[in-house]
Amino acid sequence: MSGASGPQLHINGDRTSGQDVRTQNTTAVLAVANILKSSLGPVGLDKMLVDDIGDVTISNDGATILKLLEVEHPAAKILVDLADLQDQEVGDGTTSVVIFASELLKRGNDLVRSKIHPTSILSGFRLAMREACKYVEENLAISTDTLGKDTLLNAARTAMSSKIVGSEADFFGNIVVEAVTSVKTTSEQGKTKYPVSAINILKAHGKSLKDSQLLDGYALNLGRAAQGMPKRVEGARIACLDMNLQKARMHMGVQVLVSDPAELEKIRERESDITRERIQKIIDAGANVILTTKGIDDMSLKYFVEAGAIACRRVPKEDLKRVARATGASIVMTLADMEGQESFDAVNLGSAEEVAEETVSDNDVIMVRRPRNTRAVTVLLRGANDYLLDEVDRSLHDAFCIVKRVLESGRVVPGGGAVEAALNVYLENFATTLGSREQLAIAEFADALLIIPKTLAVNAAKDATELVAKLRAYHFTAQKHLAKFGLDLIEGTVRDNVDAGVLEPALSKLKIIQFATEAAITILRIDDLIRLAPEPEEGEE
Amino acid sequence: MAGTTAAAPAARKGEFLRENANKKDVRLMNIEAAKAVADAIRTSLGPRGADKMVAQADGHVIITNDGATILNKMTVEQPAAKMLVELAKSQDVVAGDGTTSVTVLAGALLKKSLELLERGVHPTIISDAFNLAVGRALGFLEAAALPVAAGDRDALVRAANTSLSSKVVHQYSSLLSPMAADCILAVSDPARPEATDLRDVRLVTKVGGTIDDSEMVDGLVLDQRAAKAASGPTRIENAKIALIQFQVSPPKSDIENNVIISDYAQMDRILKASRNGYAPEERNYILQLVKKIRASGANVLLIQKSILRDAVTDLSLHYLAKAKIMVVKDIEREDIEFISKTLGCSPIAHVDHMRADKLASAGLVEEVPVGSGRVVKVTGIEARGATATVLLRGSNSLVLEEAERSLHDALCVVRCLVQKRFLIAGGGSPEIELAVKLGQWAKTLVGMESVCVRAFAEALEIIPGTLAENAGMNPIEVVTELRRLHAAGHQHHGINVRKGSVTDMLEEKVVQPLLVTSSALSLATECVRMILKIDDIVPVR
Repeated sequence: MSGASGPQLHINGDRTSGQDVRTQNTTAVLAVANILKSSLGPVGLDKMLVDDIGDVTISNDGATILKLLEVEHPAAKILVDLADLQDQEVGDGTTSVVIFASELLKRGNDLVRSKIHPTSILSGFRLAMREACKYVEENLAISTDTLGKDTLLNAARTAMSSKIVGSEADFFGNIVVEAVTSVKTTSEQGKTKYPVSAINILKAHGKSLKDSQLLDGYALNLGRAAQGMPKRVEGARIACLDMNLQKARMHMGVQVLVSDPAELEKIRERESDITRERIQKIIDAGANVILTTKGIDDMSLKYFVEAGAIACRRVPKEDLKRVARATGASIVMTLADMEGQESFDAVNLGSAEEVAEETVSDNDVIMVRRPRNTRAVTVLLRGANDYLLDEVDRSLHDAFCIVKRVLESGRVVPGGGAVEAALNVYLENFATTLGSREQLAIAEFADALLIIPKTLAVNAAKDATELVAKLRAYHFTAQKHLAKFGLDLIEGTVRDNVDAGVLEPALSKLKIIQFATEAAITILRIDDLIRLAPEPEEGEE
Repeated sequence: MAGTTAAAPAARKGEFLRENANKKDVRLMNIEAAKAVADAIRTSLGPRGADKMVAQADGHVIITNDGATILNKMTVEQPAAKMLVELAKSQDVVAGDGTTSVTVLAGALLKKSLELLERGVHPTIISDAFNLAVGRALGFLEAAALPVAAGDRDALVRAANTSLSSKVVHQYSSLLSPMAADCILAVSDPARPEATDLRDVRLVTKVGGTIDDSEMVDGLVLDQRAAKAASGPTRIENAKIALIQFQVSPPKSDIENNVIISDYAQMDRILKASRNGYAPEERNYILQLVKKIRASGANVLLIQKSILRDAVTDLSLHYLAKAKIMVVKDIEREDIEFISKTLGCSPIAHVDHMRADKLASAGLVEEVPVGSGRVVKVTGIEARGATATVLLRGSNSLVLEEAERSLHDALCVVRCLVQKRFLIAGGGSPEIELAVKLGQWAKTLVGMESVCVRAFAEALEIIPGTLAENAGMNPIEVVTELRRLHAAGHQHHGINVRKGSVTDMLEEKVVQPLLVTSSALSLATECVRMILKIDDIVPVR
């Protein structure tokens, strides 16, 4: 014991409290947001991330970048979670949400420094968030019915405008809209859903982005197991297996002891017969396409060849599940039945109009066309290299989510900073009507919203001050049609973004505001950070 | 300390009383350390308290406002400081809430006793006087408490509200408070309120959605997913549920066994049954098990987790799926009691005991997607026991964990109220009332006691003072104002944090159970008395 103990608390670790911790948190969060800042908007730039093994990712997607950053500071981690959450709930707007949250935090922290109690700031932020959401829903959101059928395409284009596929937004927009609308499913309760996961994305090297295409049917990225099998089967009856079709082997602990060499041959024969019988049962049930997640050995393949069936081995489980769902098949793990015998029931078979092996670029793929239950589509991406393909994959995923949200909620808002500018003007007016301590916080909230149009303009190398001022002037006049005005980042002017077709789902904006506020509040509420030192390693003496 | 002992005169003989200064140091050191603990969590007190962020050694981050949790996590080292941590824990056990208050109170009492010590009052006298004062205070408290009728749901909701108001999740208190009240009402027996067991309330947490999506489930929620490797059913209406503690898998033989075959006909016997390595009789064994289960009429199986054997194998799942029996495996041993109580059935330890009368009936057993995961819901239970289940949702694990802790506090508060049916006003009003009354009483005493009781009364004022400070109000102004009002007989006036003023707490419906405050008072006093009586620390190797 070292004797005198001061008023500090002795704990096994560091402790920061009060204003220090707030500033520290804010700095950490701003550092993270600054990384993302330059990738916001249609003219945002990409990041190249190299991990410790040397794998390279090139991305413009906020959530992806943050996930790969391996942030250590606990407050910054909250921001990473935030982007992840936005990614899960909406699928797009991950960069915006992080930038907005950090701006709120910065302004909140400045307010605390100018001696306003954190609790007043928090309640002000919360009030502002509620008002903002109400205003978006009541005054800014436009129902898709009034906008015509280009809305979906426009929304998809807006989502992709910031990505690498931005230049081909029309081309990919069509693919995205068609893909999402074709996987529409209606559940028993009459709810319409657009499961984005049902869209299969296949990546193949070569050719250019423009040669990407939408394939009708589910594509399995593998070939048939043997060349002797037919290339296509019409009226396919599909068996989905999760078992080995290999020569039966004795399991551990069984010894084979023979005294007569003839017996040995018989035993070998029996081993292969057992598998043959199984295959025969499956084929007898009517299956002419057999997919298994496990192996089929070469000897067994000939039975399928003889029966004129397509067999595929080592099908990824995830793919098999989707095929089973689309074709109405059930995955069979064992042939055992209730009588203690082996059999294969024909109800386990799924069906599709056609299953065929086709050649796409250098690869063979098995296409399952027009399955019984749902439509399945595959987007085949072509491109120069892996990084590009991965980034296009991510961009398309964002666009899928956006189209899905528009379809499900049916409400859009103009993009290009229009909503933020409108809210800024509205909230500033709202703040002046309040005579309480929250007023300042609400005004700061309103200013924080402007970070989005500002960053957009800065990234586009335009005069942010002038553009944003002009935008605000438009919104201040606050007539109904003017509320649609946002930035045109190519021309550097202000224009009607609804006419220009720059649209985002209303849900996305609402979630950005809600999540960002929640995160800023969570961090601002913290006034003490205790970092525990790692436990010393045991066993060192 | 070893150093000082060695430096003492070598010529001493027999028993030797160490000089007084040393003892004073020990006491001082203890008090300082304990005070530091109390100061550390002082800012978390009350509805406008700030949060603490604890970054644990393993990188896990916790954001919380709960005194007991903070202290528990921050690995305090000094022994006297540890006593304060224990103090918060015991308050958590007794009342479940008020853990911050109890620590802050103890800190204030220590500070006062330090002043008294400096003035030369003997520690034993302080200790005894504090004991006297707390007895008197509890008497005052009980006299001022308001009785609550059994089953007065409104009062329970209000108390839960007060408890939740200080938490991160307070904006959801309108949802969570009724939930807490209903849970406790559901599990408590009006005839034997003291037997209310919080273990009968089960909180299931799932990330995804917001806290608004949390619900109290009329039935049972299992965190496990239905086993569907063999595409077994995931939704059963008119379910007959069997809670089994045996495994539907082949028994493992104790020693390694060898099977020797010398004839191909024998292979058949082994291989016919075997796939993926099942022993010869396995298939029949499992088949018999499944047949017995089916014969009992059960169509939902809940299987206890086993560490010795797999609960189910692919083969048994396959059979169970064929028999249209839904399987939920990996039920934790601790949960068995809760589940059997809820379902009104008894666990079945052996397949021979499977009888129709041991099964529980429920309207619907269904696997439902919740956020990113899935849970199994059992609703419409026929013979439902007195239990309650809450399914908590939250957008990230930090919020979710805090929501769980907060709801647990609220449940504890409601339980206190059911057990001891007295309410007192909240918002710092009981403490200021006691301070005023004890102050008056101190005037009737003579000598050291009077001084000590007076100090005790002043220490109580720390609670309203801190509340005001955390809410951004001027503590001195507020406390003096409260003192004036209470002296004038307005005994329920406290701090209205929302309005930032001093109002009648009963009118504001800010109430808390008597047990929380009374146990905080007595526990804090006991802890302080113990620290005061320590005059030496002897490190033992």
